Amino acid sequence: MTGFILRRLAQTVVVIALLSFFCYFLMTLMPGDPIDEMIAANPTMTAEDAQRLRELHGLDRPVHERYWNWVTMIAGGDLGYSRTYRVPVSEILGRSLLNTSLLAGAALVLSLLVAVPLGVWAALRKGSRVDYFVNLFAFAGISVPSFWIAIVLILVFAVYIPIFPAGGTTSIDFGMTPGEALVDRARHLVLPVLSLSFLSIGTFVRYTRAAMIDAMSNDYIRTARAKGLSWDRVLIVHGFRNALIPLITIVTLSFSTLFSGAIITETVFAYDGVGRLVFLSIQRNDFNVAMVAFMISVSWVLLMNFAADLLYGVADPRITYS
Amino acid sequence: MSAATTALGDAARQRLLEARPMWRIVLGQFVEHRMAVAGVCVIAFFLGVALFAPVISAVTGLDPNRQNVLARYQPLMSWEEASPSERELRVQRFLESGDRTALADHVRRLGLAGADLPQDELLYQLVSSNEPAQLLDLLRHGPTPDSAAAREQLAGFERVVEDFRSFHLLGTDELGRDVFIRLVYGTQVSITVGLLVALISGLIGLVIGSVAGYYGGRLDALLMRFTDTLLSLPILVVLIVVSAVDLGKLLGGTPLAFITGHEHESVIKMIIILCAFSWMQAARLVRGSILSIKEQEFVLAARVLGARDRSIIATHVVPNVIAPLLVAVTLGIGNAILFEAALSFLGLGIQPPTPSWGNMLHNAQEMVQHAPMLAILPGLLILFTVISFNYIGDGVRDAIDPRGIRR
Amino acid sequence: MTGAKPRRGIPTRTAWRLGLAVVALLVLAMLYGLAKPGMTGRGELPTNHGLKIGITQEFESLNPLIAQMSATFYLYSMVNRTLVSIDANTEFTAQLAVQMPTLENGLARLVEVDGVSKLEADWEILPAATWGDGVPVTCHDLEFSWEVAQSPYVSIAGPELYREVEQIRIDPENPKRCTFLYREARWLFNRRFQFYLLPAHLERRVFEAYGDQPEGYEKHTLYTTDPTNPGLYHGPYLIREVKLGSHVVFERNPTFYGEPAHIDRIVVLLIPNTGTLEANLRSGSIDMVSTLGMSFDQALAFARRVENEGLPFEVLFRPGMVYEHVDLDLDEPVLVDVRVRRALVHAIDRQRLTDALFEGEQPPALHFVAPADRWFTDDPERLVIYEPSRRKAASLLEEAGWTLRNDGFRYDAAGNRLRLRLSTTAGNKMREIVLVYLQDQWRAIGIDARIQNEPARSFFGQTMRRRLFDGAAMYAWTQSPEASPRSTLHSAEIPTEENGWSGQNTPGWANARVDRLIDELEAEFDEDRRLDLIHEIMWHYTNDVPVIPLYYRSITSVTPANMTGYLLTATQVPETNHVEDWNLEPARGAGAGERQP
Repeated sequence: MTGFILRRLAQTVVVIALLSFFCYFLMTLMPGDPIDEMIAANPTMTAEDAQRLRELHGLDRPVHERYWNWVTMIAGGDLGYSRTYRVPVSEILGRSLLNTSLLAGAALVLSLLVAVPLGVWAALRKGSRVDYFVNLFAFAGISVPSFWIAIVLILVFAVYIPIFPAGGTTSIDFGMTPGEALVDRARHLVLPVLSLSFLSIGTFVRYTRAAMIDAMSNDYIRTARAKGLSWDRVLIVHGFRNALIPLITIVTLSFSTLFSGAIITETVFAYDGVGRLVFLSIQRNDFNVAMVAFMISVSWVLLMNFAADLLYGVADPRITYS
Repeated sequence: MSAATTALGDAARQRLLEARPMWRIVLGQFVEHRMAVAGVCVIAFFLGVALFAPVISAVTGLDPNRQNVLARYQPLMSWEEASPSERELRVQRFLESGDRTALADHVRRLGLAGADLPQDELLYQLVSSNEPAQLLDLLRHGPTPDSAAAREQLAGFERVVEDFRSFHLLGTDELGRDVFIRLVYGTQVSITVGLLVALISGLIGLVIGSVAGYYGGRLDALLMRFTDTLLSLPILVVLIVVSAVDLGKLLGGTPLAFITGHEHESVIKMIIILCAFSWMQAARLVRGSILSIKEQEFVLAARVLGARDRSIIATHVVPNVIAPLLVAVTLGIGNAILFEAALSFLGLGIQPPTPSWGNMLHNAQEMVQHAPMLAILPGLLILFTVISFNYIGDGVRDAIDPRGIRR
Repeated sequence: MTGAKPRRGIPTRTAWRLGLAVVALLVLAMLYGLAKPGMTGRGELPTNHGLKIGITQEFESLNPLIAQMSATFYLYSMVNRTLVSIDANTEFTAQLAVQMPTLENGLARLVEVDGVSKLEADWEILPAATWGDGVPVTCHDLEFSWEVAQSPYVSIAGPELYREVEQIRIDPENPKRCTFLYREARWLFNRRFQFYLLPAHLERRVFEAYGDQPEGYEKHTLYTTDPTNPGLYHGPYLIREVKLGSHVVFERNPTFYGEPAHIDRIVVLLIPNTGTLEANLRSGSIDMVSTLGMSFDQALAFARRVENEGLPFEVLFRPGMVYEHVDLDLDEPVLVDVRVRRALVHAIDRQRLTDALFEGEQPPALHFVAPADRWFTDDPERLVIYEPSRRKAASLLEEAGWTLRNDGFRYDAAGNRLRLRLSTTAGNKMREIVLVYLQDQWRAIGIDARIQNEPARSFFGQTMRRRLFDGAAMYAWTQSPEASPRSTLHSAEIPTEENGWSGQNTPGWANARVDRLIDELEAEFDEDRRLDLIHEIMWHYTNDVPVIPLYYRSITSVTPANMTGYLLTATQVPETNHVEDWNLEPARGAGAGERQP
């Protein structure tokens, strides 16, 4: 067991390291460099100044050397300096990470709450009208572009029936009590979470339904029923327990989809999170922020997959790690 | 079992014994999936629209890139008049396209414009001093010219004037372009990208999956580790990083350098990028089915008979993996369309003026409260297309699933 | 579930249904609890208790030497001031200085040092000016920022204007007074409104500790590590809270030297999406939109809506000093001939363009000097004016050897079509629209104009800077009032490999006479004479047509209907520079007597 965990962990770390170089390399292929942008903003900058700044930021050295400097800097606990915000990267990252986790976590919980019962329900009524509609809903969920659903939600619930804020993370109001601030925070989460949940609800419903149908068609269900076990017990212990394994797979895999969705959702709702930060920093040539935010998001997803592997062992007694 | 067999009539037994070709079984299964059939109809419609986009453009006389800055953000079902400069331009084209003396004489006789003006000035003045509808009225209800040449030229001129007014079924966008025809061309772009990406990445997946599955061992482990890693990445984040790359810096000096500066650079770029990150599902499926086929007797027999790897893969293995691949490709189209739309929506995908559903949404976002339809329509098309492809994929999967085959 | 028909089917199904219903109810109840009917813009008007402003542009750390974004200076002007400034009437005025030194008032003197003619000026900081922690603002602060600005390890946005100063001598008796020695005798010396002050009593320690590491000062400046420290600010407001990428909370500064501000607290909220910004305004989450908010198109649409629906807002427009223009690449073969360039101008009707696209709210441009500028002229005697005329354009093209063929395009004798590549920043809707309009107009005179837009990043970072635009490129720059056009018009400022692609003379215009005029202009202390010089430059500019002037961009802002004392500025000095005059309760403002310090 320990051997497996260590091997798997080592693999994950190697993948992360390789990805960081790949990403660093790609960033150097993007048009323009930060100094170019400074010159564009300040026409009076002299050639000597530009050269001095390039040397100051090490932009005149080859990629691998710059990459190595970056790695040693990160290893030294310094995340670097953001050229957009003109502050150390650590200043801006913490809050947006928290915000994104909150958004993604809430979306995950909501989608599970909605999807699992729907999926089970549809599975038990396979072929019925209920199944048909649940299926349609699930297909719509996986097919709808998340940015579009976000725009539609804003139009409906913030413009036509203005009951939710159209975007932002909090509304800064004068003299809010902590309780009010909490409610305000939650209000700002409603529409982003709804729009982010659509996709995962669709996916989860389909997998729950399929897994449940599969599980319920097994012979041991019939055996259990024949033993005279109650329907609920059969359903939960024999049916749902077995449907749980594929569901865990898909839930952990969905972290990467959730993160991708978060970029779009955060952009449309102007929500202050890591996804938007990755997008903006790449657009603005803010190397350090882009690298760190990218690495954090990728590592997070990879570690989640790793956790999923471990979870199988808990959910499925047949799997042992040796 | 035997009791049941005896209960069958001869005709029924005959029918049962008759071998039905596989494709008919599959087709029969597929047709039972009502939503998938509906999906096929929807897709057939969109494909038709995409294929015949130039025809639609020619028939309706609408041009996806013709702007009229005087008629921006027009609502659905609105009439719009060509701007004065546009009118002048079209009259100029009309004048250049042939001899117009007879027409000028006719107009002079009607007394619609100053008789002393030269021929071209006369027509310019005519269109700039009259409302198009009014002018048409004057021309049509005036006396018919005597000469055939004048009649013909008059008819031509009437058509030009008629075209001054155009009808916009779905209104106009922020540049006064017709939304309907842009959606039509957007369909062409989005579906092309979706189909190509799915097909190419299906091929890549087929190659990688079969190599990994057939040879196994180290190669398999390496390839599959790579596939799994790519699969687990937050794809959109990676796509954003990759699509921000300057193709010129990457391709400079390589044979692919022609892409930079190409008219459709952003479309080609999008296809390449999406292909690079969407073959993994197909590769896994192919590998999975090859692993299960590899152990079967007929492959073993072929190998014993001395068949080479290549021919075994081609004649035995590939036909058996076509079915799961088909499912992956169908579902892949929908995904590719979604990703293209997402990237274009973020402004990183297909660049204007080429319309795609995603970049139309990108443009509509800012004025969404003043012109909501601009944002709603392309999104609806994406939804319909993707949901149709997903249902088709579902239908294909059900149809080829041996467990599900009923007689 | 073929074989597994439940024996006690009904109660189980009910249980499942119940479960589902409970989940659904929970979700709905939560949503209901959080839903709050918005005000759709008809809510209460804000009071002097507090004001919430929406901006769409990102801001950065508030250290004025390091900062570059306009949003940062929007915020900065609420908390800090500079020696001189430009007021809402586009006049230069003393602000933190007691008065502007000039040759006439004797505070500035031409001096000769080692045979070089230089300039000396006496500056005095307002006696009442103190930092928020009570420490007086002195020339030591000026001296300190001057030192920091010249450090090789700090990325300073604009070090040039600090480098103009060779020496600062502080009066030992009164540190509020000092004498600047300028390297060159230039009349511009007293208009450096971007000469910022850093609090020496706080920041010197940081600079001494980290100033010799690359990015060391940037990372450790108190503006980043302790941004709410009152000692960093001396303006009408202090900062109570900063969250980069989200918001800033300002509170009235009790120690401000001028008249105290009317509004107790101001929150500036970053809403990076213009559509969302508008929804927030209508729902009352913000009270007003700053000049860094709505797009022009959106502001026009919103103004109509305000009128139609009687919303309690005022949408303001003011022509600014942002000069939208099309640079022509003078090395491009088809553009070498001045007749072609003139034809391009004749072919467009700028008045109609702004009427059609901007409802006349952005004035058409004749040249690079904005109407708000003292230097502006539209005198046909002093400029070459091209009235819109397609006929003239066509005959100029004929003259230049481009003849019209049946396909509606012009060709030269060798049969080459008259092609022109147009480009601008992709994603800037207004520019894209204007470019399309130009394309349309030029196509009408037989020019095959093709639009090829690029993302801002590569457009400015590479294409424009390295002069790769090969045709016509539309963009804008912000002019300062009465600013020397050296960086955009002098031939030494043409970006080349040799000068490291610096300078902004992107058309590549080289006119020896203009070069001389610019040199003279910068050294001319007589105002009337300067006017003649600049007008001659403008004549050459309009005669040679290296650039097609289009229009001056207008700034827009949405304020609550009850707001008074709010003035839009035409220049880079943002409207927050007079934030202390903003008032939401005019009645109380009438009895301002007791507010005097």
